[in-house]
Amino acid sequence: MSATATATTAPATAAAKERRPGAARAYLAYLGGKLAGAAVSLFAVLVTSFFLFRIIPGDPVKSMTQGRAVSEDQLAALREQFGLDLPLWQQFTDYCTKAVTGDFGTSYQFHAPVSELIWEKVPNTLLLTGVAVVLYTMLGLWLGTRAAWRHGGLGDRLNTGVALTLWSVPGFWLGLLLIIVFSVGIGPIPGLFPTGGMEEGGKEGFAYIADVAHHMVLPVLTLVAVGYAQTLLVMRSSLLDEMGSDYLTTARAKGLRDDLVRRRHAVPNALLPTVTLIFVNLGHVAAGSILVETVFSWPGVGSLFYQALSVPDLPLVQGLFVVFAGAMILMNVLADILYPLLDPRVGR
Amino acid sequence: MTADASAAAAATPGALARARRRASAARFWAAYRKQRAGVVGLIALLVIALVAIFAPLLVGSDVDNVTDAPGKALEDPSAEFPFGTDQFGRSVLGLVVYGSRISLTVGLLSAFLCVAIGTVVGIVAGHFGGWFSTVLMRVTDWFLVMPALVLAIVLATVMSRSVTTIIIAIGVTAWPTTARLVRAQTLAIEARPYIERAKALGAGHLHITTRHVLPNVMPLVLAQTTLAISTSILTEATLAFLGLGDPQVVSWGGMLQDAREAGAVSSGHWAYLVPPGLAIAAVALAFTLAGRALETVLNPKLGVAK
Amino acid sequence: MHHPESGPFTRLARGIVAAAAALCLLLLGLVAAPASAFAEGAGSGEATPDGKGQKDTLTVAIAQSVDTLNPFTATRLSATNMMRLMYDFPTNYDPKDPSKVLPGLATKWKTSEDKLTWTYTIRDDSEWSDGKPVTAEDAAWTFNKMMTDDGAKTANGNFVANFDKVTAPDDRTLVIKLKKPQATMLALDVPIVPKHVWTKVKNIAEFTNDKDFPIVGNGPFILTDHKTDQYVKFKPNKKFWRGAPAFDELVFRFYKDNDAAVSALKKGEVSFVPDLTPAQAASLEGAANIKVNDAAGKRFWALATNPGAKAKNGKKFGNGHKALLDADFRKALFHAVDRKTIVDKVLQGHGVEGEGYIPPRYEDYFWKPSAEQKIAYDPKQAAALLDKAGYKEKGGKRLDKDGKPITLRLMCHATDPKDKAASKYLEEWWGELGIKTKTTCLDNVGDPWVAGEYDIAFDGWSVNPDPDLVLALHTCDALPNTPKDVGLTDNFICNKKFDSLYAKQIAEYDPAKRAAIVKDMESWLYDSGYMNVLAYPNSVEAYRTDQIKSITAMPASNGNIWGQDGYWSWWSAKPAGGEAKASSGGSSSTGMIIGIAAAAVVAAGIGGLVLVRRRSAADDRE
Repeated sequence: MSATATATTAPATAAAKERRPGAARAYLAYLGGKLAGAAVSLFAVLVTSFFLFRIIPGDPVKSMTQGRAVSEDQLAALREQFGLDLPLWQQFTDYCTKAVTGDFGTSYQFHAPVSELIWEKVPNTLLLTGVAVVLYTMLGLWLGTRAAWRHGGLGDRLNTGVALTLWSVPGFWLGLLLIIVFSVGIGPIPGLFPTGGMEEGGKEGFAYIADVAHHMVLPVLTLVAVGYAQTLLVMRSSLLDEMGSDYLTTARAKGLRDDLVRRRHAVPNALLPTVTLIFVNLGHVAAGSILVETVFSWPGVGSLFYQALSVPDLPLVQGLFVVFAGAMILMNVLADILYPLLDPRVGR
Repeated sequence: MTADASAAAAATPGALARARRRASAARFWAAYRKQRAGVVGLIALLVIALVAIFAPLLVGSDVDNVTDAPGKALEDPSAEFPFGTDQFGRSVLGLVVYGSRISLTVGLLSAFLCVAIGTVVGIVAGHFGGWFSTVLMRVTDWFLVMPALVLAIVLATVMSRSVTTIIIAIGVTAWPTTARLVRAQTLAIEARPYIERAKALGAGHLHITTRHVLPNVMPLVLAQTTLAISTSILTEATLAFLGLGDPQVVSWGGMLQDAREAGAVSSGHWAYLVPPGLAIAAVALAFTLAGRALETVLNPKLGVAK
Repeated sequence: MHHPESGPFTRLARGIVAAAAALCLLLLGLVAAPASAFAEGAGSGEATPDGKGQKDTLTVAIAQSVDTLNPFTATRLSATNMMRLMYDFPTNYDPKDPSKVLPGLATKWKTSEDKLTWTYTIRDDSEWSDGKPVTAEDAAWTFNKMMTDDGAKTANGNFVANFDKVTAPDDRTLVIKLKKPQATMLALDVPIVPKHVWTKVKNIAEFTNDKDFPIVGNGPFILTDHKTDQYVKFKPNKKFWRGAPAFDELVFRFYKDNDAAVSALKKGEVSFVPDLTPAQAASLEGAANIKVNDAAGKRFWALATNPGAKAKNGKKFGNGHKALLDADFRKALFHAVDRKTIVDKVLQGHGVEGEGYIPPRYEDYFWKPSAEQKIAYDPKQAAALLDKAGYKEKGGKRLDKDGKPITLRLMCHATDPKDKAASKYLEEWWGELGIKTKTTCLDNVGDPWVAGEYDIAFDGWSVNPDPDLVLALHTCDALPNTPKDVGLTDNFICNKKFDSLYAKQIAEYDPAKRAAIVKDMESWLYDSGYMNVLAYPNSVEAYRTDQIKSITAMPASNGNIWGQDGYWSWWSAKPAGGEAKASSGGSSSTGMIIGIAAAAVVAAGIGGLVLVRRRSAADDRE
């Protein structure tokens, strides 16, 4: 948790060493390096996703047709259709040239282009986890700040304790409990929220948006409960670091009010490490939703991935893997790009 | 564990070393004792460890036996079965107690595996430097951007369903953060003057890394391991819940999957569903608390818990 | 003035706060809206029959994703069930007794003397939903497409494998010429598609048939909308020749989690849920307005032993345990299996103890072993049989003929909780004999299976009213050509006697005579010990009686509603109407209110934070 943040801030501190003169050029060079690194990573992901899923033993066509009547003819047709009759190296080059244009082939189980299937689900996942990340970041920042201000007090201990406890809870289990309590209803509590899915269907305009929001409450709650501890802890500890710095003592000596000092100087500086964390969290958005989407029948890329893996629907799994890792790479690059711009010690 | 330059460089008699170790252990314990949450975590861990070790005595070793199961399917909590029974008529309490063995084993072993990989990669990358280090760190970075859970799920799917598979799947996907941290620490340690001196005196790579660097990164590694165990236990539960665990052993995540498959959620058998989840949360929390306390004591600069 | 250090950050933080505040206000609005919608009584999406001319919606919860809506490539049960609603099939099975055939798109049929030519008369009162008439040409085109286009073979290619030529001499006559006689010509489960629409499809293999709504069809329902893993919607076909369905709308909603589907049923969000677990069925038994249908299943659930995998070219492959080649050893294993316990404990009584290969639901084909033939539960006899056959027990371990302890690999479907549960019992039963079992549960058992790399596997097939397919699985002809290929074979059984019986039954056009041959085949299969049916699990399903007044099960006596060989259930379902169901509406409005309250609290908090920010900015200017 905190380790992730510490690890990814390392390059930024390196950039912070740069001096003002030539800073723009240095930043551009830094930027170029980061982008090149990301491109290499992305290529590595493409290659891995091809070979990783070829380790899965056996013949996809055999597993595709397991449990139903097929003739030799049908099998040969399927092999040809999915390019499985070609040698491995040729499959690989085909895969690479197509992947560059965003074409990941045809899904074994849905008989439709993989990219189409994925893009259909991406907005759903972004909606669910995006809202959750924004909410838990806000909550984490707010509670983290409060905890650090009253550091050592009962409030702080309670706050941190609750956060750590929720963080230790398996998210899927929390989701199931929420379904029991708030969806099925237990004792006097009626079933308040839908048990799963994203919409009733057939609604339009405002009613549709409202319907989706109603379906989102429980999954978002699950994600927020399990997720906010990390932000809280990072914010709390970096704020505590800031509050120990010399300039705060100076500011206080100048006669500025305590809470003003904190708000104007300590909090903004302490936000810095959390920025990285926010981006890392955003990068995890797609992959992190597998469990919650499965429990709440949310039609997103996470549940699609799990479903694809059990077939196994290789083209779909490959495509999703690239999307998951791609999101991480993209967010890391964004964090790397933004970090020096935001870090006051770098200057602009 | 404050191995300072003079102590490490000079060869001291064994007795002195022992005394010093005793003293530093006492110092460590005194500092740890001040971490109230850490003490709570430690006590909880001791209790859980005892329960796991003596599980066969506590609930009997045939608790997972289905043919002679004592109860009926999915009984409600009663005096005989405090948490009710599962779909085979076995006591949920007994299974939770028994399940602690697998969950703890997997948690510990996969955490050790992941920290071991991370430490070796980190020290090697930090010590040798140059293109070799660059390549290693690129690989690490690349693993860092791989969504760990996705990779673990894929590995668990690809390999046969067994406890070993789960341990490997968690171990080989969770090491990069440790590697990063250890490398940074290694760089810091190797910049110290006494390492220069040791090198001048002809110390080899093996000597420097094992005698100087390793003891100095151990505190960090220890704290990392403790935190990693809690993550590993959660990941184990997740994989088992997704049906990727070994069907022949009782584990908490596996129990949750069984409960869900039996339809415990909608039929209101919460007593079947709640205990395994609470057990997971309790163990994960205990390790996290202990790990944060360790981190604070051993490496105040990380300042997580303050 | 801003402190240079805090500048960008204060702005960033304020930006975040503002964005979040906006978001929360939006959420507030969102959650509030359904409440107002409810207040207006406009929630027509659900089955809330108020008796005021509202739409009657039948909502069915299903778990399995629809693979595609293209009838040429759809293979999953979820999708093939939709096909039955969308398109008329040549013939139908009688819902009262599925072994009888009823007219479908074809009203009459006759065969030639040499049994090779079938002539069907296509009805003249069926119309495509775009107004064009249905003709024999549509049927001929559909069959010919499957015979000529590789992409169109995917789903139903096996039906036309024995077809020589299909023609439509006129609009009402379809002629199919066969290569060999085929007794299954009245069981062609093939959706007939409109030629005028489908000739425009360029690549059948990649066509998903879910872009151009409503989808042109001639079945009892017309598909109007589909969102993958969310819902499939149908409207009734008012011009359907057998009569229009009574519900105004039919919705299949996807619940990946079965518990979620059951809760939805309890709340009235859905009208019907299939595939209940025993615990779910028990909890629904007593619930108000819910009827549990514990139907005789279509499936058999069996253990299949590896008889030594081999290919048609005679090459052996795989690594099945040698002891399983010994008939006595197999018999001993099954003597140690208590099928009654499996039914009682694993299925919790929702099933019938296994006997012959074909489930008792198909009375004509159901066969059971005679008293002396039966491999009954008898652990003592099992141990004695093993001792006699030369498998000695030593130190609690049963040794094979080379003196090594026997360990059997048991393969189960990770997707089927029954397998996993039963495997626990098998481990213990066989453990008593000194045989160790290593269970492996896989999502995809196909790979080790077709490679013959297993010892014993859980096996199960859904048996159609015509048993030809499940019998063909065990013929030599079904073996793969070479070890590298894959055949239709289930578990590599190849026996001359079974094959000759198979050939006899497929050419036998007299139903009673054919049934007698089929029973002989089942008897042979039972004696072989290659297959042992554990049970015929019931299909346990439930529906809301305040939404569905009546619905047809198939077969009528104790049949299932979901997964029928036909459209009978949804076509025949009558809405309950009149009876309002206040509970669901009431609770969801309470949900709204709580949602509003929660959102209001969040929004107030955010608003407060913004104000604090403002104040701090003002403080700055002091």
